[in-house]
Amino acid sequence: MLKLIQTEFLKLRRRKLVWIMMLAALIMPFFALLYFKYFGNVGVEPIQFYKWSAFGYTFLIILPFVLGMLCTILMHDENQHDMLKQLWIVPISKMGYFFSKFFIVLIYSICFMLITAVASVMFSVLPGYVAFEWGSVIFLLKKCLEIGFIAAFAMLPILAIAASQKGYILPVCITLIYSFLGFFIMTVNMYLHPLSSMAVIIARNGDIPGIVFTQAVNVPLAFLCICVWNIAAVVLANITLGRRK
Amino acid sequence: MNDFVIETKQLTKIYGEQTAVSSVNLHVKKGRIYGLLGRNGAGKTTIMKMILGLIPITSGEVDVLGRNIKGQEKRVYPRIGAIIETPGFYPNLTGTENLEIFAKLRGTAAPHAVENALKVVGLPYKDKKLFSKYSLGMKQRLGIANAILHDPELLILDEPTNGLDPIGIAEVRDFIKNLSVERGKTILISSHILSEISLLADDIGIIDHGVLLEESSMGELEKKNRKYILLQVSDIPKASLILERQFSLKDYSVQDDHTLRLYDTALDMGEINKALVTQNVTVISSQLCNDTLEDYFKKITGGEGIA
Repeated sequence: MLKLIQTEFLKLRRRKLVWIMMLAALIMPFFALLYFKYFGNVGVEPIQFYKWSAFGYTFLIILPFVLGMLCTILMHDENQHDMLKQLWIVPISKMGYFFSKFFIVLIYSICFMLITAVASVMFSVLPGYVAFEWGSVIFLLKKCLEIGFIAAFAMLPILAIAASQKGYILPVCITLIYSFLGFFIMTVNMYLHPLSSMAVIIARNGDIPGIVFTQAVNVPLAFLCICVWNIAAVVLANITLGRRK
Repeated sequence: MNDFVIETKQLTKIYGEQTAVSSVNLHVKKGRIYGLLGRNGAGKTTIMKMILGLIPITSGEVDVLGRNIKGQEKRVYPRIGAIIETPGFYPNLTGTENLEIFAKLRGTAAPHAVENALKVVGLPYKDKKLFSKYSLGMKQRLGIANAILHDPELLILDEPTNGLDPIGIAEVRDFIKNLSVERGKTILISSHILSEISLLADDIGIIDHGVLLEESSMGELEKKNRKYILLQVSDIPKASLILERQFSLKDYSVQDDHTLRLYDTALDMGEINKALVTQNVTVISSQLCNDTLEDYFKKITGGEGIA
């Protein structure tokens, strides 16, 4: 498995888009900077700034979309260029192959949220909108790590769909639908979609302002939702990778 | 224990209602080059995929290196190198980087394995050219380099000379031959180019519409392609009468109004010509002929030729 993960990193050489996508981590911190600059707020609560920069659209829309794109990129070459049969006769296990890709998504997701966290601190403290406090910075880092970790699991179905497709158009379209569906479904039933369930887990203590749930917070149910989707994704990946020869 | 590196028994593959491969019994001997010859769509790639366990078998059995490959992949695959169809690699990486990935995945311990494999196929080591910029011939060479990277005992090469120029074809043919002669590798190679197989293979299997029509050594096949004397004369009935009465000849055939084939090549043609001319039969020509492998292929596939 370690060899598979190492080779996954080697395959990312000269993949500029993968690194450019990382810049999306700066989008919401930058907008938060503009927002607070526009209203000329100084001395705001750190959590108010972080709500904008890290706990809003970043983890509900931007991160899922970026991870969906990454899943598609990771799977595209091998599917498009008919490489899987060469890999199978090495031999490598189909599930080892799938989970090595997932590991890359996990690392990327965590890095993405850590960049968001660092940018949030820099964009809030340096212009002087927020006073630097270790407590709030640690809270931000902890939450960003949680988001980065759980978001990768929430995006596993997209990785499985990308594994089943030769092209990239369908996985990207499904990523868009999946990301926005997760956002909108929160008002209907939070425990139907992995992304809305992720939001439940992240904001389980009610310590993130602005995230209001229409249902009672049920963390085990949220984990169950993600688990069920992930099991379905692994089964799908196992079947489709088995057929790709 | 038999000495077959690959043995298939009644190997069959059916897609829906179409039979792609029908009851194929293939026998690839150790240390020899086995050429699987057939037109495009004859079932060569399907057979190779089944041998490698890449597609499920409808019925029949496959033994590779003395084992049924199903469930034994981890033991058998490291002893096999293969190219199936056009080899694909990562377009954003160089040839060397691509092979380094496969070497890492295979756990290839030999130092300079990548460098040596590239050297064998005539590609530069540590070149900066990306795979996406490679010509078809270079891609094919890299595929072969990947197949021999881990020094396997058995090579399964599906149309390895596809896309190569004539010089490239000759080079690939030479190093495939060397792999067999000098390193004792067993090689199963498929092609739709008859001349390629005839120049390379020790044993040959002719496949058509999924059926293995013939399997024999090249030596045996050459023997089967009978030599004959092609005799062109002015009067066939009279010439036949002379041959039968004067030379007691029975093993001949009439091709057309002026042409006879005499299958006894030990005959004294001087005497025959003399007898015919004496009895007023004009001899237009007489020559020793041999059926080519292509003629033989046409004959056993029911008249259709091959490249």
